[in-house]
Order: sequence, then C-alpha cells, then structure tokens
Amino acid sequence: MISVILTIFAPILGGFVYGIERIVRARMQSRMGPPLMQPFYDFFKLMDKRPIMIHSFHALMGIMYFIAEWFALAVLLLGNDLLIAVFFHVIAVLALVIGASSVRSSYSVLGALRELMHMISYEPLMVLMVVSFYLVVGSFDIKDVLHYNGYPILDLPLVFIAFLLTIPMLLQKSPFDVAEAHQEIIGGPEIEYSGPFYEALYTGKWIEYIYVFTFAFLFGGSHYWLGAILVIFAFLFINLLDNSTARLDFRRMVKFAWIVLIPMAALNVILLALI
Amino acid sequence: MGFFSKFRKKSPWILHYNTGGCNGCDIEILATLAPKYDIERFGALNRGNPKQADILLVTGPVTKNCRDVLRRLYLEMPEPKVVVAMGACGHGGGVFRHLYNVENGVDNIIPVDVWIPGCAPNPRALIDGIVEAIKIWEKKSKDKEYMKNHSKEMIKNLGVNDD
Repeated sequence: MISVILTIFAPILGGFVYGIERIVRARMQSRMGPPLMQPFYDFFKLMDKRPIMIHSFHALMGIMYFIAEWFALAVLLLGNDLLIAVFFHVIAVLALVIGASSVRSSYSVLGALRELMHMISYEPLMVLMVVSFYLVVGSFDIKDVLHYNGYPILDLPLVFIAFLLTIPMLLQKSPFDVAEAHQEIIGGPEIEYSGPFYEALYTGKWIEYIYVFTFAFLFGGSHYWLGAILVIFAFLFINLLDNSTARLDFRRMVKFAWIVLIPMAALNVILLALI
Repeated sequence: MGFFSKFRKKSPWILHYNTGGCNGCDIEILATLAPKYDIERFGALNRGNPKQADILLVTGPVTKNCRDVLRRLYLEMPEPKVVVAMGACGHGGGVFRHLYNVENGVDNIIPVDVWIPGCAPNPRALIDGIVEAIKIWEKKSKDKEYMKNHSKEMIKNLGVNDD
C-alpha cells in the first residue's frame, strides 16, 4: 500500500527532496537559499510559458523520459524484479539521449554522447549491486529484500561505498556532472527544451531522486530505521561532495568507475560467493 | 492571466549577456548571486540558456559583433519575457557612445522594459531592478514579441516566421 502511494506521489515527493536539497546546498555555502516549495513554483511558472518546440519527436522524447522514469520507479517499487527496474531506467536515459541527439545544437549532441558515457560508467555497477542483493537475499524480489532479517549493509559494505560514489553520476552532481555541465555545455541534453517540455525533464529528475534513494534504502533490509539513516547519510554526503569538488573530465569518470568502483563491487561479490 | 500566472514572481530565471562592456556590471551580478546578497532566496537562478530564461539581463553598449547574437537570444526566449538593461553603457552607449563599433545602447536593438542606472550599479540596485522587471513581467501575455528596428530581410534570416 505504501509503495502504491509512493509511486503515485513520486513527483511531488521528489520535488520536496529537490527543495530540501537546494536549501541544504545554500546553507553549505552560507547562503539563505530558496523556500522549500521553490521547485513547484518553478514548475508552475514553466507551465505558463509559450510552448516552443524544435520538432515534435524531440518534444516527445522529453516526455518519454519523464514517463519511462516514472515507469522504472513503478517497476522498482510495485514490481517484483530489481533487475528489470534497472533495465527500465536505461530506457528512460535512452529516450533522453535519442531526443538530445535529434537536434542540430552541438551542445545537445555533446551532452547526449556524455550521457552515454554516464551510462557506461554506472550501469554495470547497478547490475552488480542487484546481483549482490541476490546473493545476500536469495531473490531479486524487492519484497524479499525488504523482509530480509539480516543487515545487507554488513554483507555489502564495498558495494554500498561504490553505489554511494555512483549516485553523483546518476543524479548529475559534481564531480561527475559531466553530461549536464552547466558552465560548460549549459545543461547538455536539456538545453533545447523550453517551457512545458522542459518541465517534463525537470520533473523526471525529481523522480530520479526517489529512484536512487530507494536503492540506498534497500541496504537496510527489513530494518527500516537503518534504511532511513542510510538514505539521509547518502543525501548529505552527496551534497557535501557536490559542493566541495570540481567537475572531472568524462574520461576520468569512466576510468574511475571501471578501475576503482567496479572492481571494488566485484571483489565484494566474489568474497560473498566464496563465503 | 490564469492560475499559473501568480507563480511567475516566485521564480524569475535570469539570462545574463555581456555585449562588450568592461565586466564591472558582471562582477556586480556575481556579487548578487554570492552569499551576501543571495538572489536565489527569491527563486532567481542564472541560467545560461535563453530557452529556459525569463529575464534577459543585458550589460554593455551593444558592439556590432554582438548585435545579431543579442537579437537571437531575445528571439529564442519564450514569452512572457522582460529585458533589463544594466549599467550606463546599456543606456545609449555610456563612455563608448558614438564609437565606430558601437550600436549606442541596448534600446537600438531590442525593446527594453527596465533600466538600471549606475556605473556600475550596486547589487541593491540590481535587485531593485529585477523586482521592477517582475512587476512588468506579471502583466505580460504569452503572445509573440518582436524586436525593434527589424528589417524584413533580418526577420527572414532569423526564421522568426517559421516559429
């Protein structure tokens, strides 16, 4: 029942998470920051702009991103299989990439290519994480993970650390905000969207927050307090990292993911399989 | 003037463009974004993207190289939008007036809604100007707006009619 409510109200909840994040970010920079409802004010304001689209396919792909993102979250929360949820998330990102590479703007195409680099970096790790859940819990089912009596975090410490460092890639945060680089390629894939169509991308990002933090929650197993602590820790850690680091080259991001993070997670999985 | 128009004043997104000024105004704009004045507490963000911006903040006397870029930026912004000219250079050229490479102010290229005087205006003046701009912005409709002094050929080159 809770998962149904969470799925339906995911954009609203994600908006609040984003609002809290903007306040936290402002406080970390010793600013006052916008009000908590600021993402929704932005949402309503964008609703009021004159719709301009490049071509209809581009706009459709923006809306597809939002729908596929929501669908991936629904599969994750309501559905049965964690692995399928990871693959549905790929569809959402691919919609973004296809839409962004269908316009002539070079920034948009560059952003699309970098988004693919993001995918190369984090997607193997997501799959490894889900596999490690399978090894611990004995099932891909989210209900079994949430009813698991042990502490998955104690079995999978390295996987959790690897996932923690993957969150910046998923949520486009420093030091891995390569695709969205606001000072460099001004938003990347989202640059050509405006008004109500940009809204779809803006809201899709809020859903992505819920999607990512649900995975962090799963590390608590059936101990929901532990899951909540892990989510709050991940949230604060990501913001601290976002505010204190500069953006890296995309090559270094891919190298970091493939040389450090994936072997680390794989080591944990191998040790788990041996013991 | 629907339900959503009430939320305009809550999130003005700014596009800042320097048309060949001395960077004094730009430093003041950065000071406005910085912790002391913190314009984000009003919901304002500095987006570098005309397609998602609401307020076009122009500094500098429009040089001849910047002219077409400024027109393009203005046309790429979706309505409703407002233009704010900042600093003495924007008001008819300032110290650069009547130079061979200068268009003598923002007003000669695109229609300006709010003028912020000063060289350079301090952050409080800038915030005041943005508040004035929001008041004008709230009354605007979603209809298309055109630039000033356009020739038919220019409109054809920019492809405004296809939009």
